[in-house]
Amino acid sequence: MTYKLGISRLDELIGDIKSGTNIMMIGPPISRKDDITNIIAHQGLLDANAVVIVSTREPGNNVLEWFERYDSDVPVDRIGIVDCVTRTLGFGASDTDNIKMASSPVDLTGIGVKISQFLEHFWMEMQLRETRLCINSLSTILMYSNLQTVFRFLHVFTGRMKAANALGIYVIEEGMHDEKTIVTLKQLFDGMIEIRGSEEGYQIRAVGFTPKPTPWFDYEVDGTNIVLRG
Amino acid sequence: MIATGIPKLDDYLHGGVPIGETLVYYAHPGVEGAVFGMQSLFHALSTGISGVYVASSTEPRRIREQLGEFGWDVDAYGDRFAIIDAFSGLIGADSHERYVVADPGDVRSLTQCIHNAMEDLREPGVLVFESLSTIMDLCGESETLDAIEEWNQYAMLYDHVMIYNFTAWPYSDDTLLSIKENICDSTVSVGGIVGDVIFGQYFGVLKANWTDVVRKYILFKVLKPGGVRAYIPKILVTGPFDAGKSTFVHALSTRAVSVDRFGTTIALDHGHVDHKGFAADIFGTPGQERFDPIIKLLSGEAMGVFLVLDSTRSEDFARGKQMLEITRSFGLPVVIVANKQDCDGALTPENIRDKLDMPENILIMPAVATTGEGVFEAFETLIDMVTGV
Ligand SMILES: Nc1nc2c(ncn2[C@@H]2O[C@H](COP(=O)(O)OP(=O)(O)O)[C@@H](O)[C@H]2O)c(=O)[nH]1
Ligand SMILES: [Mg+2]
Repeated sequence: MTYKLGISRLDELIGDIKSGTNIMMIGPPISRKDDITNIIAHQGLLDANAVVIVSTREPGNNVLEWFERYDSDVPVDRIGIVDCVTRTLGFGASDTDNIKMASSPVDLTGIGVKISQFLEHFWMEMQLRETRLCINSLSTILMYSNLQTVFRFLHVFTGRMKAANALGIYVIEEGMHDEKTIVTLKQLFDGMIEIRGSEEGYQIRAVGFTPKPTPWFDYEVDGTNIVLRG
Repeated sequence: MIATGIPKLDDYLHGGVPIGETLVYYAHPGVEGAVFGMQSLFHALSTGISGVYVASSTEPRRIREQLGEFGWDVDAYGDRFAIIDAFSGLIGADSHERYVVADPGDVRSLTQCIHNAMEDLREPGVLVFESLSTIMDLCGESETLDAIEEWNQYAMLYDHVMIYNFTAWPYSDDTLLSIKENICDSTVSVGGIVGDVIFGQYFGVLKANWTDVVRKYILFKVLKPGGVRAYIPKILVTGPFDAGKSTFVHALSTRAVSVDRFGTTIALDHGHVDHKGFAADIFGTPGQERFDPIIKLLSGEAMGVFLVLDSTRSEDFARGKQMLEITRSFGLPVVIVANKQDCDGALTPENIRDKLDMPENILIMPAVATTGEGVFEAFETLIDMVTGV
């Protein structure tokens, strides 16, 4: 059981990602991390995985629309979204099959319950054995809870991802946190996807999967595709 | 005593939590623990007791919605219900609650509110904490542990009961141990059956200072509306052909399906029961001898068995007893249902006991499956045997 990111050049260079891997994705604002996260999730759907997305900045509906916009055949029954936004905006939306509402990004207990419920549903009722969890983003969660609290939460869930042979992707906003935060959290992850600004735009690379980091690549995002150059 | 309103738990606690004492729901991450506190709060309110909810990770308005989803309209209780809002201050929102914690990051500010609420609250009242873990995350582990001791003392002074929801994130071992074993008079563990994912939830009493602990774990489901239901995943209904097994399953169930193939050659019934805080899945077995291996198979994971007999057909009793032996070899609790009591010539349970030569400790209960008479009595009896004390 292995996973692919759906970012072609990187996948070629790092090979199959083994199950139970937890990856941190870090990069500056407006580098289209949301799209890249969704693209990785979308690759999961193409590979018949179940996908659980914890969304802290975009309402769950918007996330679902992204998939429906770029893929008219998207298998929505394999998508589960934990929406930490809608309720904090004061909307009394209730849960749907695809979207479960958490009360707020503070409510890590509640977020944890919703993630677990999706995992159980996909595992037991749909008999899916491959799952991706994307948390987008840890930075929002860190705005509301201190580092230690978030560390404990991640300790539990990166562990669960290992146990379930799943793939975990955790997004961090570069420049929003001090060095200690990043160093502390890094311990929990097996590898990183790094993004940096360049003269042309932005560049991406993968670290920790191969003895040396992959080279930096310029990239362009186009729907569910990401095209690497260089 | 203030009852918790959680099915079976009050039996295990011998009535609930004594006035002045404290209980913690110690939940594993990812398991639906928060509903336990909410249900205890609502149960107290609905039985005439005052209740305060300490909100620490959810906006008060949202909490009312959450309670509403379970069918618990707390505002119907007017002044007897209040929220201590330890959340709005965190995100800089206004609050219209009676008690507002100015600085949720400072445990003294919370203690002040709790103190005020306890003075105002008509005793005995119950204070339920949405999430002790969030408070601990904000205010620090040792600060919070000290504060809990202070709150628990207030509870004793003012004749209230404290109920805490706590999520056992990987805090320091000392902190976890002290929440689990020391700081409260009783601890109820709310856990998950963990495999590759969590695929079943249970609770059980770990400690209760006022009584002997019943070491039993109860599986549960959370229903909306409804709340925590003790869950029995599998109860078998067995018995000879035509005894009334299918009718019995349907009489108990809120939802049931019967699969009949080739007439009555093979028939399997499956129903969901939702009764007095208990949810159960019941399965009818086929009656014919050649399906005995199926009964064996089904018995493997079952938690209890009904043997349904047609009380007018003593010629079938031997077969009934034989089917019982198959399941009894698994050591399962059994209730014998003496069905069709409305028919002429129906034998009484005592007659049947004699004919079957059944020992006194095996219960035989009268029923009329077609009208539903006696079926829930039989259900409650079997559930009691399955869940113990
Ligand atoms: N008079 C009477 N008839 C019953 C009772 N329970 C079941 N029956 C009837 O007995 C027949 C067999 O019932 P069924 O549930 O199909 O038996 P099964 O073969 O054990 O599943 C049906 O015609 C039922 O209506 C009862 O308590 N009283
Ligand atoms: Mg039948």
